[in-house]
Amino acid sequence: MTPLPDIEIAGLDLAFAGRTILHDFSLQVAAGEKVVLAGASGSGKSSLLACLLGFLFPPAGRIAIRGELVTPKSVWRLRRAMALVQQEPDLGEQTVAEWIEEPFTFRANESLRGHLAQLPGLLRRLRLDPAILRQKGPALSGGEKQRIALASALLLDRPILLLDEPASALDPESRQAVYDGLADLEGQTLLMVSHDPSSALRFVDRTVRLSPPEDDHGRA
Amino acid sequence: MGALEIGYGGLAAAHLLLLIPLAAMLWLRIPLVGQTLVSVVRMTVQLLLVGFYLQFLFRLGDWRLTALWLLIMIGVADLSILRGSRLCVRCFAGPLFLSLAAGTALPLFFFLGALLRLPDWMAPQYVVPIAGMILGNCLRADIIGIRTFYDAIRKSNRDYLRRLASGAGRAEAIRPYLRDACTAALAPTVATMATVGLVSLPGMMTGVILGGSGPLVAIQYQIAIMIAIFCGTAITVVAAILLTLRSAFAPAGTLDPHIFR
Repeated sequence: MTPLPDIEIAGLDLAFAGRTILHDFSLQVAAGEKVVLAGASGSGKSSLLACLLGFLFPPAGRIAIRGELVTPKSVWRLRRAMALVQQEPDLGEQTVAEWIEEPFTFRANESLRGHLAQLPGLLRRLRLDPAILRQKGPALSGGEKQRIALASALLLDRPILLLDEPASALDPESRQAVYDGLADLEGQTLLMVSHDPSSALRFVDRTVRLSPPEDDHGRA
Repeated sequence: MGALEIGYGGLAAAHLLLLIPLAAMLWLRIPLVGQTLVSVVRMTVQLLLVGFYLQFLFRLGDWRLTALWLLIMIGVADLSILRGSRLCVRCFAGPLFLSLAAGTALPLFFFLGALLRLPDWMAPQYVVPIAGMILGNCLRADIIGIRTFYDAIRKSNRDYLRRLASGAGRAEAIRPYLRDACTAALAPTVATMATVGLVSLPGMMTGVILGGSGPLVAIQYQIAIMIAIFCGTAITVVAAILLTLRSAFAPAGTLDPHIFR
C-alpha cells in the first residue's frame, strides 16, 4: 500500500480581491520530502502555507495533512503536526527566552518541555550567541529574528516544517548556516517558500514553481 | 434634612457661569463654542426630561417600570460602547448587552440586598442611581477593554497566528491579549480607588452628605459603591470579551476583519 503523503493539496483555487492567484492547483509532499515553493511575489506561496494551517479556507479544492482533511474543526489538532517559521517573526516586547518558551506552556506541548535543553546548541548551530536569549524583540535584527523563529520551530520537533522565506533577511554566511541546519533534518517533511530558491536547491528534493493561472503552470 | 433646592431660577443663573469659559473660548478662538452650546442644551434638556421621568418612576414605585428603565440604560450604554469602540454593531450588540447586564446586576443586587438589606430590591430611588454609577463605569471600562483586546490581536496578528500554529488552544491563543485588555480597562478604577477622598469627594459621598447624612454614613456608602463598581467593571470586561469571541473569530481561530468599522 502506498503511504499517505504528509501534505496533499488537490484542485485548489485561491483568489484575492477578485484576482485569481491559483486555479486547480495540486501538490503532494511525501513524508520526509523537502520541497521548495518558488514564484514571484503575490503568486500565492505564503497563502498556501496559510491554507495548510487553516488560516485561510479556499473556495475550492481539498487539503489533507497526513491523510486527514483540513477543516475548521480538525485543524486545531492538525496544527500539532506542523511548525511554522514566519518571514518576519514578531517577538513583541518579550525577551527571546520568553518567546521561545511560550509555546511550551501550551497544553499540547507541555510534554515537549525537555526539548528546551537543546536550545543553546541549536542557537550555536544557527550562528547565534546564547546571550541573545536575554535580549528583547525590538533590539534584534530581522535576520536574528528569523533564526530565533527557526530555532523555536525546530525545538517543537513537528513532523512537518513550514518555512516562509526563512532566510530572506540573512547574510550569506548565516543563510548557509540555516540551510545546513535544514539539510541535517532527518525524517521531517519540509515545505519552504522562497522567491529565490537557487541557493537552497542543494538540499531540497524538488522545487515547485507557482505561476499565474493564465500561464497554465499552476500545477505540480 | 434633604438637599437645598436650587430652583429653576437658580438653575438659569448657574448657566451664567458658562459666560466665563465661552468668553475665553471666543477670545482665544478655540473652535468649540458651537459644540459647547449644543452640549449644554442637550445636557439640560436630557436631565430635565430624566428628572421628570424619574420623579414619576419614584412616585409609582412599580418594579416593572424600574426594570424597563434599567434595560433602557443598559441598551444605551451598549450602543455607546459600540460607537466608542468602532466595532460591528450587529455582531457585538447582543453579547455586550448581556455582559453589561451581568456586570451591573450582580454588584447592584448584592449592594441592595446584602448591604442595605432593602425589603424592596427594586425600589427605584436606590436601583436607578446605584445602577447608573455602576453602569457608567462599566461602559468606560468596556470601551477600553474591548477595543484594546481586538486592536491588539489585529496589530499583533503575526504573533497571534504563530501562537495558533504552535498548537495553542483558543483560550491559550488569546490569553496575553485578554490580560492586557483587562489591565488597561481596570487600571483607571484601581487608580481611582487609591486616591478617592484625597483628590476629590466622589459623587456618591457628596450625594449622601447633601441628602443630610453624616460623613461617616457617606463614606460607608462610598466604600461599598467603589467595591461594587470595581466588581462590576471586572465582570463586564471579562464577560464582554468572552461573549464576543464567537462573533469575532472564525471556527479555525482567525480574527474576522469585518468586526472593525
